[in-house]
Amino acid sequence: MNHLVNITKKELRELLTPGTIASILIVVIMFSALGTAMSGESEKESAPKEIGIVYTGDFSETLITDSATSTSYTLQTVLEAAYKSVYGVDNPADHIHVMTAAYGDSKAISDECAANGYSVALVIPAELKTNLSGNIRTTVNMYYTYSHGGIFGSVSSLTGTVFMNNINTIISKVLIDNSTGNEDKTAFSMSPLSAGTDYTTINGQICEGVTPYQIFSSLMGQSMIIPIIVMIIIVMVGSVVISSMGSEKENKTLETLLTMPIKRTTVVSGKLLAAAIMGLVYGVCYLAGMMMYSNGLTSGLSGTSVDLSKYGLVMDTLDWVILMVVLFLAIFCALGICMILGAFTKNYKMAQTMTLPISGLAIIPMFIFMFTSWENLPAIGQAVVFAIPFSHPMMAMDNLMFGDMMLVAEGIAYLAILDIVMILITVKIYNSDILITGLEQSKFFGRLSRMFKRKEEENEYR
Amino acid sequence: MTDALVLNDLRKSYGEREAVKGISFSIKEGEIFGLIGPNGAGKTTTLRMICTLLTPTSGTITVCGHDNIAEAAEVRKIISYLPEDAGAYKDLTGRQYLKFMAGFFASGQEFEDMVSKAIELSKLGERIDSKVSTYSKGMARRLLIARAVMASPKLAVMDEITSGLDVMSAYEIREFVRELAREGVTILISSHNMYEVESLCDRVAMINHGSLVLTGTPAELREEYCANNLEEVFIKAVRGAGQ
Ligand SMILES: Nc1ncnc2c1ncn2[C@@H]1O[C@H](COP(=O)(O)OP(=O)(O)OP(=O)(O)O)[C@@H](O)[C@H]1O
Ligand SMILES: [Mg+2]
Repeated sequence: MNHLVNITKKELRELLTPGTIASILIVVIMFSALGTAMSGESEKESAPKEIGIVYTGDFSETLITDSATSTSYTLQTVLEAAYKSVYGVDNPADHIHVMTAAYGDSKAISDECAANGYSVALVIPAELKTNLSGNIRTTVNMYYTYSHGGIFGSVSSLTGTVFMNNINTIISKVLIDNSTGNEDKTAFSMSPLSAGTDYTTINGQICEGVTPYQIFSSLMGQSMIIPIIVMIIIVMVGSVVISSMGSEKENKTLETLLTMPIKRTTVVSGKLLAAAIMGLVYGVCYLAGMMMYSNGLTSGLSGTSVDLSKYGLVMDTLDWVILMVVLFLAIFCALGICMILGAFTKNYKMAQTMTLPISGLAIIPMFIFMFTSWENLPAIGQAVVFAIPFSHPMMAMDNLMFGDMMLVAEGIAYLAILDIVMILITVKIYNSDILITGLEQSKFFGRLSRMFKRKEEENEYR
Repeated sequence: MTDALVLNDLRKSYGEREAVKGISFSIKEGEIFGLIGPNGAGKTTTLRMICTLLTPTSGTITVCGHDNIAEAAEVRKIISYLPEDAGAYKDLTGRQYLKFMAGFFASGQEFEDMVSKAIELSKLGERIDSKVSTYSKGMARRLLIARAVMASPKLAVMDEITSGLDVMSAYEIREFVRELAREGVTILISSHNMYEVESLCDRVAMINHGSLVLTGTPAELREEYCANNLEEVFIKAVRGAGQ
């Protein structure tokens, strides 16, 4: 009889109850709701963006004059007014930058944007003034740089669109004022500028016809869901291990188990194996649920599904293998932490509290990666995120796709070291008295707990 | 008769507090031995060390000739331990629990025999297929005792075996223990019920503050302390030690 199988089987029998299965379903539904709430979040504007302008005409030349108020507008004043109405700042001129790249030279435009950190570049043809007087619609192209990771990575495409709309509104108001009585002109006056082609730079490659938002929506199917799934697996597996230890202690079944003619390492491995199988079951269920849900979300939002492989944003086989390795190391680490915490629990209730630290460690990086990305974090934030073992599987996919291999490699090394440390601590604890006695017997913790607890009524018989 | 259990100057400290302060006694094969003492005297600590759950700070334990530390694996094959206030896995049925535990000792036909013997001993009838969480205290205790003896241990260690049980259940369990002893199993129990110890145990040891206060048969102890029963012995011994 294989003792390991015996223990694992029993653990699984305890774990896979109707209650736990119901809880899987509830969490899936909960996260679907959360996802829907988040999709609204992505439409919000944020801090002022730097905008580059390519225009070979004269910025201070009068474009149009409002015949009613006799106010003259130059491109400069139109842009500033539009910027002000988007971001409400007093110094719009500081955020609008005249670019040196030539009209139509995509490479130069993209490079200049990247070098100066412009979120978006508007490329306006020199014919703008003649078009306006000739009732010809002017096409404005937009250049973006895709900054990956998180919902706000896609905001730059909204900046461009909103900014364009405001320019349109301002010019349009003047044109309509001037054209009273001339019904033919109205259609043109409503929208004198039209959005042309969108260009987005990804990994230094210029992609025609996509906006960052479309890329983000398609990516979200993968890079947003991974942090959520990783978080769920870790929290679930963690609470399974700790609660199991808690109830074993409460019912003294652990004491019985440890007097059986089996090695303590077998007991530990059996529990770990069962938890890992549980993690797998949870993972597969959630992944399937999330995929179905995210398909609905992305198609509902962008209307366009972007073929990411065209832009080099794909995971090849090696990438998937690396991602799995990182995930495995992180789950192992979670199990290690939980086995250690579980050794110190006294009962089921205490076990519930003990799951808090592990949940926190999983939830913090999940939110970080949902709303921002590694490179947007300050150095101290990067240090914290790196130190949390569960960050690594959450950011591995982004880093693999965007070619940040160094970070992935460092993460693997860190996790491997952490895992070895966890194994050593776990083995030490499970071969010591701590498993039965708790921490009271250690001098330091003994003093600590006595500070909180009133002295035990020992020998109350006297 | 050979010794089933020998304790030699056994000590255990929890941090700086010494819970067991040098206990020595031995139990002969087939004996029912009772360990008594006030709350916190060190009974559970001693039993846990005998069952290889805790490592003694110093001193030795020998179970049927096997050293408790050097040959822990051997010792675990021949002992069984029933912790105080023990429970079983709540989500398993009685039968599943017994099967799980039997799996550590046997396989094949031997395994089947062990399980059916334990089911019979537990006297749970058709309730053996109900979840453990639905059992009364007495039923759960019968299940655990059946588990403790199903692998035919040489030494059965039981901590406060009848505490919390009604008169009938406690009586039945005592009868069961007597029967076990007749079959040659050595039994070490701890108890707070002096009547139980007096009627059940061949020999008794009393510890107080982690030290051995007295050992002997109930009759010897009554004589030594000029007492009518073990309860009086207990009180006199505790008062004597407290001065
Ligand atoms: N885990 C522990 N950490 C620190 N001290 C402990 C621990 N377990 C027991 N002790 C102390 O060791 C002493 C002996 O405890 P033990 O449980 O062996 O007593 P006992 O004789 O079984 O008592 P009871 O009759 O109440 O069950 C007590 O003073 C107790 O406070
Ligand atoms: Mg006790």
